[in-house]
Amino acid sequence: MIGFDIVGFMISWLTLFGIYAILSLTLNLESGTAGITNFGKVVFYGVGAYVSATLTAYLILMLNGVDVSETPPYDIEGIILLGELGNKSPLLNIGLLVLSLMIAFAVSGSLGYLLTYPILRVGPAFVGFTLLSSGELLRIFLQHYEPVGASKGLMAIPTPFGWIADSRVREAAYLSLVLGLLALTYVVTHKLINSPLGRTLRALRDDEIAALCLGKHVPRIKATILFIGSGFAGMAGVLLAYYLTSVNPNMFVPAVTFNVWAMIILGGFGNLKGSLLGAAIITFVDRVLTFVTPQLGVTVISPDYLRWVIVGLLIVIVLLVNPKGLLPEKPIKTPALDVVLEELRGESR
Amino acid sequence: MAFDMKTLALVIVVLIIGLAVGYGIAAVTGGGAVTTVTVTPEKKVYTIGFTLPLSGELSSIGKVWEKVVQLAIEDLNKEVQAYGFNVEFRSVILDDGTTAERALQNVQSFVQQGIKVVIGPAASAQVKAVKSYVDANKIVLISPSSTAPTLAIPNDYIFRTVGSDAGQAKALAALAYQEGARKVIVFYRNDEYGKAFADFFENYFREMGGTVVKLPYQTGLPDYASEVATLASKVQSEGAEAVVLIAFDTDGANILSHAAESDVLSSVRWFISEGPHGAKELLSSAVGQFASRVRLFGTRPLFIANPLYEDFKNRMVQRFGEEPGVFSENLYDAIKLAGWAILRAGTYDGEAIRAALIEVAKTYYGPSGWTIFDSAGDKAQQDYGVWAIVPGGPMGYQFKDVGLYERGSIIFLEEAYS
Amino acid sequence: MGGSLIPGIQQAIMNTLQYMLFYLIFSLPLTLSYRTTKVINFAHANFITYGAYVAIFLHGIMGLNIMSVAAILAFLITGAIAVLNNVLVFTPLQKRGSSPAIIMISSMGLWIAYKYLLYMTTDIAHYYTIKNFVSYGRITYSDVPRGSVGGVELSQAFVASLITASLVVVLLYLLLEKTKIGRAMRAVADNPSLAEISGIPKSFVVNLTWFICGGIAGIGGVIWTSFSGAITPEAGDSMILQVFTVGFIGGLVSLLRTGIGAVLIAAIENVGIAILNTYFGVPVSFRPFLTFVTLITTLIVSPPLGAGGGLPYRFLKRGSRR
Repeated sequence: MIGFDIVGFMISWLTLFGIYAILSLTLNLESGTAGITNFGKVVFYGVGAYVSATLTAYLILMLNGVDVSETPPYDIEGIILLGELGNKSPLLNIGLLVLSLMIAFAVSGSLGYLLTYPILRVGPAFVGFTLLSSGELLRIFLQHYEPVGASKGLMAIPTPFGWIADSRVREAAYLSLVLGLLALTYVVTHKLINSPLGRTLRALRDDEIAALCLGKHVPRIKATILFIGSGFAGMAGVLLAYYLTSVNPNMFVPAVTFNVWAMIILGGFGNLKGSLLGAAIITFVDRVLTFVTPQLGVTVISPDYLRWVIVGLLIVIVLLVNPKGLLPEKPIKTPALDVVLEELRGESR
Repeated sequence: MAFDMKTLALVIVVLIIGLAVGYGIAAVTGGGAVTTVTVTPEKKVYTIGFTLPLSGELSSIGKVWEKVVQLAIEDLNKEVQAYGFNVEFRSVILDDGTTAERALQNVQSFVQQGIKVVIGPAASAQVKAVKSYVDANKIVLISPSSTAPTLAIPNDYIFRTVGSDAGQAKALAALAYQEGARKVIVFYRNDEYGKAFADFFENYFREMGGTVVKLPYQTGLPDYASEVATLASKVQSEGAEAVVLIAFDTDGANILSHAAESDVLSSVRWFISEGPHGAKELLSSAVGQFASRVRLFGTRPLFIANPLYEDFKNRMVQRFGEEPGVFSENLYDAIKLAGWAILRAGTYDGEAIRAALIEVAKTYYGPSGWTIFDSAGDKAQQDYGVWAIVPGGPMGYQFKDVGLYERGSIIFLEEAYS
Repeated sequence: MGGSLIPGIQQAIMNTLQYMLFYLIFSLPLTLSYRTTKVINFAHANFITYGAYVAIFLHGIMGLNIMSVAAILAFLITGAIAVLNNVLVFTPLQKRGSSPAIIMISSMGLWIAYKYLLYMTTDIAHYYTIKNFVSYGRITYSDVPRGSVGGVELSQAFVASLITASLVVVLLYLLLEKTKIGRAMRAVADNPSLAEISGIPKSFVVNLTWFICGGIAGIGGVIWTSFSGAITPEAGDSMILQVFTVGFIGGLVSLLRTGIGAVLIAAIENVGIAILNTYFGVPVSFRPFLTFVTLITTLIVSPPLGAGGGLPYRFLKRGSRR
């Protein structure tokens, strides 16, 4: 082989890992801890991506004096213009990034909040189906909605760091953005879980009716959790849109959700570090496969198929053997826990 | 108990990581299953990366392309040896599952292995996702099959050895009009490919004096019986004389099979885009009989009566027992162009190769005809052929090229349906 | 031909009937399996696909196009897969007291594994025969007649599915109402612990149920190959949401309501979209939209109670009204 750009590999792997890790952390919050079986994660992801793509594409054109009803950003002239005007003003690009993140969080979060109503009606077992169907509904709608490019989608989206001349520096800057958002997500979810609220969430997951009887306002809690989880997923979507510089409704299909589910099952329900581990393992294996498969010569079976069979089997095996996943659920760290541990240690002496 | 579970989980994880690392090391040290070639001392080896749809929506054509790559690399190596260059070209093929994310990952992997020329991906949505990375890192990318008009962007690193669908829509419009249709229903996939095609077809057909009613259908459904029923009722209510179908292979075959059962749809003409061409599902008896009943014709990028194409086709059949499906010749020429551009550039550098590619393409003539690029880096001269489904061949029916599109009108070279 | 109100209404009605028959064959076993085992089984999609591929491999590799042979083989194979799933995965999980959500997720893992296993098989078959099995054309069978009723042509698929659906409905009814084993199945469905105590071999009954349900869905898959123009290993997946919707309408417990659901969904998908398209200009590509809306509406308006669905919130109003 010619030579191996390890720095480039690490950057590209970690960027994708970061985006998926945000998704797995939030999914673990919703499904692993609060028991909301979210099979529709991809829709919040997709909404965030579309928000940032649409906002950036339209605003860059409009702020440069282009009439978007004549040259919309999804037609060829608009695309060429986007390419030319996209990297003129660093301030504008970064401003759009911040704006996109905020608006995507708000929109995706509100969508999650709204979807809590149907979920409450159907009960725990059918939450998955409801969210899955809602996701598909939105995707079909986007495929027909002309202003966001309908089935063509949007492309040539100007990136926040496009004004940096050196491509390696640009990639590194983007990676730090992704990791920064990942850290934020981690801190927020960690705080949420390691608190009395977190205990309530686990109660919800393990026995909803009991929690209800104890006076917990289940609907409001679920709505809040979905709001936060979906909001962060929306921000992950923004990161994806800028990374691929294009969006398309077919990128946001249920298979993406199932991939994230594999990550949290592997890593362990209810354990945040586990989600990071699960996301890391799966994205790493995917990347390494692209280096490994050409060495196998002409393949009879596409290695992609093998990868998915293994993912499916892993889900089953992990659930059978050790449903806690690789990293078990830890007790919730609140001040109350410290007191309990103190007492235990005191008694055992 | 807990001990067992933990160890089991740990074992699984270590196994996976160990496999990956082990293969990785083997790859780097060259200990993998690479066929060793007796190499003379200073032979330079150039690697070309390929990202092909070996699984996913376009997998049936992707598998044929894998063989085209093999043939092309062999031909390329033979040629450069004959010209006295002491070089060898190697291919690295990755599957991108016809998804945008995987295509980007594959291109990134290629770049990280130091590869500067990539051929693929197949779908326009994928090309869109890799474009900014490719431009930023100065990687020459040649797609043999992406035909979206929205990618006709000048001064970038994306080249396409196939003409955009704008051209094919014109040919299809001419075909329909020449065959006597004045009012058609365009039944198209509601995605990237179908929508752009339908829009262009509408413009051209209107210019010629016909009328168009557009009917999009959702992609990825298991069955289209209901859509076909709606199509039939639309044909009836609008009094259309023909249906223009813009589809891929799976949906195309499904739609045609259902159309065969409808009296209404069996009494109008049918014209098809290149999507379903080459797909074996269309050679079932249901579709074959339907084709002769409605005198079905399709267009596809092709240069008929090109002796290089005939030679290419025969060699594919001889060697692999497979007919080269749609875009195979564009892929073959892309590979040849890439090889010669690398040689002409003299150095393995993206910018130099890009400039060289444009020059080489000006004088190269291959199975897909002249490969000269226009200002946007797309094939400037794309010809189109007309195909039909006729009895014969191992499956009972086969695809046959029966005409071509030349200077605004269709010329039939033989009688397809008697 | 064609109605005056909606052009092509005749074709739409034919399609409605055809789809109704398919949904009956696919959804009745789903309802039966859930009712007896309380497992929401994603792998049900695989039963359909594997059944179809039994027929495809018979046709593509051995040149055999006899539906009865394919159907029997498919029944045995998909039935066996269903039993395997239960023995290896569902029962151990249930013994451990896993929640229904966990079991549903495990069935999702199985679904993914089976699907890509099938893809791998098509790759291997392609390697040996050069034929493409990832997308396979419609099969014309030699032992299924075409029919003609009052001037209306009936396709092979229609005849086969009509016969099969009728047989399934009749046989299931007889099985559950008249036979001892059927009554045992109903007992296990209604109250598993009581059934066990009263001497019913619960695991045998449950396995038998899985075998029958998986098998019927597999036969449905075989018939599907004579209807669809192109079958892929994702054939079952794209239909699974409709199949589940039909099941949900039946509350996943009532076989009769499942039948009604089959008619309803088939009608919405064929006649409904025709009406919307003709009078409101809704594009035909919106068809799956209708199905999902129906799914969500069904779940919200009448969630299957047997799954602990929605119970607490039907009576919970702001300010708690008892």
